[in-house]
Amino acid sequence: CAKKDALNPVPSTSISDLTAFNTKDRIEGQVRGIYATIKNSGMYGGRYQIFNDIRGEEFNNERTNVVTGFDIWNYTPSNSSTNSVLNHWARAYYVINLANVFIDGMAAKGSAVVGTTLSNNYLGEARLLRAISYYSLLQLYARPYWDGNGSKPGVPLRLKGNTNSGNYALARASVAEVYTQILSDLTFAEQNLPLDYNNAALNTTRAHRNTAIAWKTRVYLSMQKYAEVITEANKIVSATPPFTATSGVANALQSDYTSLFKPPYTSTESMLSMPFSTTEQPGTQNQLGYYYGPSAFNGGNGEYSLLSTGIISNTGWKSTDARRSFVQVFGSKSYLTKYSVPSTFTDWAPVIRYAEVLLNLAEARTRSTNTVDAQAIALLNAVRGRSDASTVFTAAGFADASALADAIMTERRIEFLGEGLRGADITRLGLPLPAKPGVNSIPTTSQQYIWPISADELLLNPLCKDN
Amino acid sequence: KVTDDKGSPLTGVTVSAGSERRTVTDNSGNFTIQVSATAKSLHFTYVGYNATDVIITGKSSVSLSLTPEDKTLSEVVVVGYGVQKKREVTGAISRIGGGAVADKPAQSFDQNLGGRAAGVQITIPSGVLNAPPVIRVRGTNSISLSSYPLIVVDGVPSFTGDFSSTAAAGNILASINPNDIESIDIAKDAAATAIYGSRAANGVVFVTTKKGKAGRSRVTVDSWVGWSKVQRLPDLLNASQYTDYKNEALKNAGTYNANTNAFALTNGPDGKPINTNWYNYVYRNGFQHSNTVSISGANESTSYYFSAGYTEQQGIIQRNDFKRLGILMNIDHKIGKAVNLGGKIQYTNEKNLAAVSSGSLGDAFATAGLGRVALITAPNVSPYNNDGTYNYSGALIGVMNNKVGQVGFNNPVIQLDQNRNNAEVEHIIGNTYAQVKPISSVTVRTVFGIDYVLVDNDIYYSPISGEGFSSNGSVTAALNKNKRWVWTNTIQYDKTFADKHTVGLLAGMEHQKSNNTGYGLNRTIVSDPAFTNVQGGWATPNPSNLAIGENYLYSEFGRLQYDFDKKYYISGNLRRDGASQLGVNSKYGTFWGVSAGWEITKEKFWTSARLDRIFSSFKLRGSYGKVGNIGGLNNYASLSTYGSGLYGGNGTAVYNQAGNSNLTWETSKKTDIGLSFGLLNDKITGDVTYYNNNIDGLLLNVPQPPSAGVPTAIPQNIGTMYNRGIEIAVNATILQKKDFSWTSSFNVATNTNKVTALAPGVNSIIGITGGLESPSITLPGYPIGMLFVTQTKGVDPATGRRIFVNSQGKDVYFQHVAPAGQSRFMYADGTVAPGVSSADAIVYKTTQPKVFGGWENTFRYKGFELTAMFTYQFGNYVYYGTGAGLRDQRFWNNEVGVLNRWQKAGDLTAYPKPIFGDNISNGSSFPLDINVFKGDFVKLRSVSVGYNLPKTILEKVKINNARFYVAGSNLLIITNYPGPDPEVSSNGNGTTNFGIDRNTVANQRTITVGLNVGF
Repeated sequence: CAKKDALNPVPSTSISDLTAFNTKDRIEGQVRGIYATIKNSGMYGGRYQIFNDIRGEEFNNERTNVVTGFDIWNYTPSNSSTNSVLNHWARAYYVINLANVFIDGMAAKGSAVVGTTLSNNYLGEARLLRAISYYSLLQLYARPYWDGNGSKPGVPLRLKGNTNSGNYALARASVAEVYTQILSDLTFAEQNLPLDYNNAALNTTRAHRNTAIAWKTRVYLSMQKYAEVITEANKIVSATPPFTATSGVANALQSDYTSLFKPPYTSTESMLSMPFSTTEQPGTQNQLGYYYGPSAFNGGNGEYSLLSTGIISNTGWKSTDARRSFVQVFGSKSYLTKYSVPSTFTDWAPVIRYAEVLLNLAEARTRSTNTVDAQAIALLNAVRGRSDASTVFTAAGFADASALADAIMTERRIEFLGEGLRGADITRLGLPLPAKPGVNSIPTTSQQYIWPISADELLLNPLCKDN
Repeated sequence: KVTDDKGSPLTGVTVSAGSERRTVTDNSGNFTIQVSATAKSLHFTYVGYNATDVIITGKSSVSLSLTPEDKTLSEVVVVGYGVQKKREVTGAISRIGGGAVADKPAQSFDQNLGGRAAGVQITIPSGVLNAPPVIRVRGTNSISLSSYPLIVVDGVPSFTGDFSSTAAAGNILASINPNDIESIDIAKDAAATAIYGSRAANGVVFVTTKKGKAGRSRVTVDSWVGWSKVQRLPDLLNASQYTDYKNEALKNAGTYNANTNAFALTNGPDGKPINTNWYNYVYRNGFQHSNTVSISGANESTSYYFSAGYTEQQGIIQRNDFKRLGILMNIDHKIGKAVNLGGKIQYTNEKNLAAVSSGSLGDAFATAGLGRVALITAPNVSPYNNDGTYNYSGALIGVMNNKVGQVGFNNPVIQLDQNRNNAEVEHIIGNTYAQVKPISSVTVRTVFGIDYVLVDNDIYYSPISGEGFSSNGSVTAALNKNKRWVWTNTIQYDKTFADKHTVGLLAGMEHQKSNNTGYGLNRTIVSDPAFTNVQGGWATPNPSNLAIGENYLYSEFGRLQYDFDKKYYISGNLRRDGASQLGVNSKYGTFWGVSAGWEITKEKFWTSARLDRIFSSFKLRGSYGKVGNIGGLNNYASLSTYGSGLYGGNGTAVYNQAGNSNLTWETSKKTDIGLSFGLLNDKITGDVTYYNNNIDGLLLNVPQPPSAGVPTAIPQNIGTMYNRGIEIAVNATILQKKDFSWTSSFNVATNTNKVTALAPGVNSIIGITGGLESPSITLPGYPIGMLFVTQTKGVDPATGRRIFVNSQGKDVYFQHVAPAGQSRFMYADGTVAPGVSSADAIVYKTTQPKVFGGWENTFRYKGFELTAMFTYQFGNYVYYGTGAGLRDQRFWNNEVGVLNRWQKAGDLTAYPKPIFGDNISNGSSFPLDINVFKGDFVKLRSVSVGYNLPKTILEKVKINNARFYVAGSNLLIITNYPGPDPEVSSNGNGTTNFGIDRNTVANQRTITVGLNVGF
């Protein structure tokens, strides 16, 4: 009757959980929803990259604003730092739970709706997104793998979908246990993701098999498991130049470095990026272009300039290097201008690029063989030569393996400036966090070397202990 | 001839002889009536006076004077779906006359209820015009839902809250012209409120608008003008103090460099160093005026009241204005003896205007927030360059000669000149009723009411600098439409049997349906700065303020009242409500209240003990009942849903809400025991009441550990809490002489609030301020919203370091930049200590006042009248977060106290050694005990001196009454609180984050001059 209907109104702008797995569209919508969630509120859509950038030595904080990472930059976040410690933790686990709810729902109903092949593709995507969320948590909230071989506390490991209230007290799994799960997810993804979407946009915004392999090289590198890095990288890097992936999406370096950061942002080098547009905006104070671009450049807030003592002081990085074109001086300060779109700052946020796989492989070969490895030099030259043909590294130029490794690290700092790799590179190698103007260096043994655990988590999950 | 008790003629008195003949008195109080020979008496009735019978046997003329009805105990009060004589009420109801809220420099009547009723605490949250006040009836009665009472205007439940979606506040109750209000009745206990069942837990406020009164038509004009200003702002460093102090901090940090990292003065156009007092640009003296004209009257069959009002009020913040144009028509018509028809219609157009955020409406940390910008912007820069152009650099204010990246947030002058944050409200309230009395003891009534609110939000940010800079301008137009209809049908039976048994029986049913829709457009990237509205040339169209929702409440209710010989009273109320917001398994709830009263003065033993010589009335009353609350519950809160968005241009489905299909009402079990008395022929009247409200099934949005990844906290009926206290209200006529009188009203209430249980696994709930700071905690065993701060132990005289006390109780010395070989956090012995943070916070002090109330005195001497109203509050603490900002060691300007900073070993001071960049030592990074202060205050809330023109003059100029007055509001605050005003709430009506003062614009002080004229 009318009264009963009025007492049970049906919302017209959302879908009931009871019917979320009823159609193919809704199921694929959920897959996209997990990506959208890892993208937004500044996880892999910008803030995760920024946090890792500003923990390094390249950037100077110009705004002393805690909302935009002043405390991350000067290594003073507290358990309740809302925009970093609390939000990243909550957001990453939201993604993880969305993936878990999806995996459970597919088993219960969804797989039958979409069929086995699509179901496996989607589950591969969900598990990859779960893996890279856990990976981001480990980089910020847990001791690096080298410290006790992964025996230190990691983060709570949750693999079941949570939809109701319940007893969610759970202790932190060890770092090694979390990495094991990450690798298990990525391996599943590798085996079940599509080889190629045959669509440039999808090949950059949705994970395919090579994306999972690329992630495995990053993960193994973080664990200093160099042999595994080599095994994984070799699946998608040809033995000889030009280094390309020979199966799946034809991943390869693009000839023009600057094209990677311009529309349409889709290329075979960008193996996963977070798409933005005027109808899909990054959200306030999450945008890469807003943080790094000064107002005179793109109307950004110039939150961070480039420190004159950082990588821009490197004399081997020639002014003719295409990558130098992204370092511009405004006033008396240098800024990173890689992200140039003015408001609404819709540059896509890079998550993983093929160039990283090459340098991951080069580094792994160098560190595992402890020699001035010829292929490592070739890989390094591939990356350098693309932007600076005039510089060619030779074996003779390196006194020892360590010098080569240093050159690879320098190359990473240049190649991925403002792409969120530096913080995790520092910690995985056990380097102290660098001193900056008004900020002391943080030794690896310090409590401040990693973030504290979310105050909300400590409050509501009595089994979870702080760092 | 009929006169009043003072001998003045009464016009419009109904004179009747039997049932067939009646007339009314004329302007001189005279009347003529023809009566049959058998008639023995005449019956005289007049509103506000006691009905009187006069024997006429053998007389041809009659003179009499009517005595006014007793103004206190015998007056009526409004109860749900009816009225009752106050003397017969067994529930706890406080009545406030319309005069208490009229002619006050406020936007809405509710701002002026403070101190007027025992147990009703009103907090004006900020100096922003038309911010809804915080109203607490007998304490905070909910944690997650609303603690705001139900507001019933002329029988129709009204929308409440802030309906603006811009930086201008828009309390929807401001649509009601306070001058149109006849009375406000505040029902507090279960007996008085249970008839509103599921919405009664926070009390019910009945607002009754004016109706026409018998007699010839009256015209009134009420006008005032006023001037308001800000008060008690903190003293800040001037330009040279600032420059020197910040440079010292840079040197202490080891980063001073005269050429690249230093503060420096800049000469202004006059060749002297710029020294800007930002208060002068942000604040102003506001001019206000208000005018109401009404026409009213009534004859035998029809009464009418028509008013039109216009007010324009300037706030103390530049560009913060309130304009209201409203009309009200109340009409009641009688057809024969059995049928009454009538209704009302009110239309209001209200403009709530602001330039930009004040930072006082829950947005404490807004970078544009004017309250904050005025405090922290460097005094050594000017809003203008020397050539007269705006001083800015990108989004921020320009640094001028300072050699640092930033010396402020936005340039407030650009914001105030260019930007717009307006909410225009169009509000229609109407109802129409029909009432039939088929027999004299039965009344059948149907009422249909509507409440329509249309809000047109208009936001513009200039592309020049500030908030619109990064988006190259931004404009938003958004329309929000809220519609409600309420249909109520009641049948009432009243009968007195055998002269002693009086029975009243009410049965009714009610439907209430509310709908809201909202849609808007936000556009950025302006193609030409000349375009400032959404229709102009812009690049991006983004949807904005999309909303759609509905809710429905279906109710059946009844009431039984019985008294024996006006001596023993009992009553019972019952209501069954079904609400659409609740879980599919638990839509309905049943609520009830019972009460009893005993008028002891009617007992023989009382008179034989001669107590009647002292006590004119002495009534014991008690009540108990169960009422509910779902105020503020989201329309679809019980459902689990997936929302939709975009990823890479394609649609998404994201699990975004975890519901609970068993979601149901919060219930309050209220006990009330009271005593009402009248002394010395009601020269002194009073009430003493003990109340106890046990709240069960408190709806908690039970936060799961973030790592569980559940998208939203799941609403569950799981917590418990109580509010207990004693209320005393006394009204006394202290002196009553021919030319001089003194009346006094005093009330005091105590309240003890305690949370007794939260959800299993939820040890506490953290209250957030402005989305950034967590200075509040709610946990079992304590009052709601305790302050949660980290402890400090002063400043180390040897080194100037802040001393923190960590969670182990150990002293930790902090220096923001540690010299080589030391660390930032150290123990006294020099060893490295773990960082101190909010994780070391302790549950510190309560924000709930223990005692509060008001005291009003009115003195009359001949035509003069002096009224002074004090309000007071004791026992609560306030977190003065603003104080943390005022001592922040970034570029922010500081309060002058920092000049006493530590400089050398042996200095004893509360201000640590300044080290540039230090946002930890003084509480910016996490809340500290040094910023917690007692919130006790006594305020001279309002004072007025009025003069009534004497009758002799009035008669010459042919007007009924004329009164001139001068009034002040908020003139005096007695408090030790260091901030502008301890009566403050940065988080508005928030329950778990109350008692916070973070960058809030202080309350204004206003002087008004006005007149009331009646024709």
